[in-house]
Order: sequence, then structure tokens, then C-alpha cells
Amino acid sequence: MTASARAELTSEDIEASVRRTLERAISRNIPGLAPLPQTESDLDVGPTPKEMVYSNETARLYHYLPTQDEIYRVPVLIVMSPVAKGYILDLAKGQSLIEYLVMQGHDVYMLEWAAPRRDQSHLSLENYVSDLLSGCIDAVLRDSGEADITLVGYCMGGMLSCMYAALHPDGPVRNLACFTTPVNGDGMELYKRWMTAKAFDIDRLVKELGNIPGDFINNSLQALRPLQRSANQMKLLNNVENDAFVKAHLRFDRWAVDQLPVPGELARALVKDFIIDNKFVHNALTLRGERVDLGRIKVPFLHVAAQHDHIVPAAASQDLLPLIGAQDKHEIVMKGGHVSLVAGGNAVFRLWPQLDRWLSVRDI
Amino acid sequence: MSKEDSMDPIRLWREWFVKSEKSWSDALSEMMGDEHFSKGMGRYTLEALHTHRMFSETMAQYLANLNIPSRSDILDMNDRLAHMEETLNQIQVELREQRSQMARLAAGTATAATGGSATVRPARTRKPAANLDA
Repeated sequence: MTASARAELTSEDIEASVRRTLERAISRNIPGLAPLPQTESDLDVGPTPKEMVYSNETARLYHYLPTQDEIYRVPVLIVMSPVAKGYILDLAKGQSLIEYLVMQGHDVYMLEWAAPRRDQSHLSLENYVSDLLSGCIDAVLRDSGEADITLVGYCMGGMLSCMYAALHPDGPVRNLACFTTPVNGDGMELYKRWMTAKAFDIDRLVKELGNIPGDFINNSLQALRPLQRSANQMKLLNNVENDAFVKAHLRFDRWAVDQLPVPGELARALVKDFIIDNKFVHNALTLRGERVDLGRIKVPFLHVAAQHDHIVPAAASQDLLPLIGAQDKHEIVMKGGHVSLVAGGNAVFRLWPQLDRWLSVRDI
Repeated sequence: MSKEDSMDPIRLWREWFVKSEKSWSDALSEMMGDEHFSKGMGRYTLEALHTHRMFSETMAQYLANLNIPSRSDILDMNDRLAHMEETLNQIQVELREQRSQMARLAAGTATAATGGSATVRPARTRKPAANLDA
């Protein structure tokens, strides 16, 4: 602005300019702030109708009510990661893998994990695989009246599913699909460095805390990309006029910090057996005296990895496919991150139809 | 985005931050993976545990004197609530089973075709579209 232009500014001009700025700020922010939830319950997550089928210790098994007149024969059991809540797969209407699969005619069950009580800190990897997951599979078979089942594991839920399938090569698993499933502890570089440092003592941590708190897990995950959350807040501010964006962002953000505590014994096994000793890849993991040999998995297998996954990078998951003994095995690497792969806006065009196609020719 | 928005310096800074976040995050993660940092992290965690325990014990005594529940008391209550919730879950599962049996009896069949649901399940005969390959 030139000196002469400044001189021409009257008090009315200034007032009008201030009013315009204020009005713009208000009009930009009010629609954006309106959908901000006042309480957690305002953010409706998990809208697909479901019934609880089985409950034992930290395991909660739900059946999603079919909406089609005819469904595929083989029931699908989705196995969640023990550190994450299941509603990420059923965030909202139209933003739900579960809803999509139900609408495509699949008979969908989900194993979700509840936060362990203090007296459940003894629950170990053996309990999770051989008691809780196994109990849920039996419950699905009973409930559906079928003799076989398809397992779909997300993240560490994929690890648990692989372990179960490897320990039960003669059934009842008919198909196995995993998303972003870590198998190589050396590939989790930052955790490996922290946990192999002399000062880190998982035994002491478990002894003092019992269960590893959700905040601890959350902080560890955030350390993998420390500024991502701040960047997401910036994105929110830049899109505050877009109601759909704001709601989706808030649902994601709520889930991202809503990590589950992990039973101490399970955490100990994950740190020692998976990260430090890397037993999965070295074929040295045993559960209740039986070796978990992924080469014994002969059923059709699918692994879907995310191109920009910073939680389970390619180095941690790319060994999974070669370790599986099946002839019919595929890996697909898709655009997206660890979470956006399964629940992002583009999942409906990328992962969901691929999974539906893969399942539909095998779940008959 | 309006022209005014595109010139908003705060907005421009936010956009720059979002675009460059990954590089900054990678640099920070690399720094955190450093051997000294890793050792420091381990030591800090153990010290934090020790401090937490000392503080909790002192605080518990102090709160007990003031007749105020401590975190441990709240956790006790949480555990009792979780026990109750688990019992309710078992009842819910059992009720679903009972409803299902009654529905089967009403339909005059004793097969497990309806599973545990009270409503009659759809036929499990769906086939994929003919143009799909494996």
C-alpha cells in the first residue's frame, strides 16, 4: 500500500475492513466448529448392528447382523490387534469395512479386545492364541453351523491369526488374510534399538506396572512419526469449513489416542520373542511347547501392506509371504498408511473391493 | 480456497508444516534411534517408574489421611466394574442362546441353521459374480 493510498483511508474504511475480516473469520469457523463433539458419545462410532456372541477374559466376539437374503457359506472372523480398538473398522456409515463386507453378503464376526484388568496381567501370548482366539473360532463355528472359517487379521491381529493357522494346519481355517502384519522384529528399527539398549528392562516394567498402559503404547507409536499429530491438527484447521472432513478427522483422532493397555505377559513376549529375538522370522517361536512354523500354513493366503506405513514398515512385513507355505498366496501393496489403508476415504476404492473379490471366490 | 485465504500467512505456514512434516519427523525419529538416546530412554523409563512408585506410596498415605480415594482405590473400583461388565456380557450371550433356541422351537426345527441369533439367518448359498477370478 502506497503512502497516498494510506492517507486516503478513512475511519469508515478501516471499520468496514475490520468487519469484513471478522465476518469472514466467523463464517469460516462457525460451520467448522458446529460439528465438533461436546462429548465422546457425540462421535457415533461402530454403527453397524451387532450382537455379542462370546466373551472370555479380554476377548469379545461380535456377530454383525446380515443384511442380504443370501450370504457366503464360510463365516469371516476379523481379528483385531490387542493394542487397538475395533471401531476403526466400523467408524461411521459409509466409512466402515465391516458395513461394506456385510453389504457384499459376507457373514462377518469380529474379535475385539477389552482393556485387561489388573488381575489379567498374566494373560500371555499362549493365552491370546490358544485360549482366547481359539475359543472365539469355536464360538463362530458353533454360531454359524459351519465347519470352516476365514480369518482376517489386522496388524498384530494378523500375527495372532498366523500363529493359530500355523498351529492348526488341519483346520478349521479355510482362508487367511492379513493387513499390515509385522513378522520381522528387526524391521521395527526404532523399537529394536530402544529395546536392545542395555538400560531397557521389560521385566522391571511389567513387574512395576502389571499391564502396560495405553498411554505408553500411544507414546511409543507417536515416536515413530513425532510430528504427524501436529500436522493433522494443521490439516484440520485448514479444512475447518468442510464438515465431513472435520467429523472424519475427529473420529480418526479419537481412535489414534484410544490405545488399549496390554497385559504384562503379552507385552513381555512381544518385546522378547518378537522384537529382541525375532523368533517369528527365525522359525523359533514356540507356544505351549509347539513350534509356530508359518510354513505349515497351506490355506489360501493374502497379505495387504500399505506403501506409506510408518508403524509396520515394509522391512517388518515383507518376509511374511515367503514364510507362508501355501501355494495360493499373494501380497498386495496399496497406497496409504497403516490406518488409512483399512479406514481412509480411499479404502472403499482400494482395499475393500480387493478383499471382497478375494474372499467371495473362496468363501463358498 | 479464496484468494484471501491463499495469502493468509498462518495458513501458508500450516501448509508448509504439513508438507514438510514427514522430513522433520524422520529426522526426529532418527535422532531418537541414536544409541545414547536409546540408553537415555531406558534409564529415564526406569527412573520414571521409581519416581512414580515413590510418589504413589506417599500420595496414597496422604490421601488416606484426608479420607480421599487414591488412584489405587479408583482402579479397584474399575476392576469391580469390569467384573460386573463381564458378568453382564455372559448373561447377554446366554440370553441370545436362549432366544435362538426358542426361535428354533417356534420354527419347528432343531438344526443349528439359525446359529445363536433369534432371527432366521439368510441362506449360506451366495456365489460370487461370474466374472470374478481368484
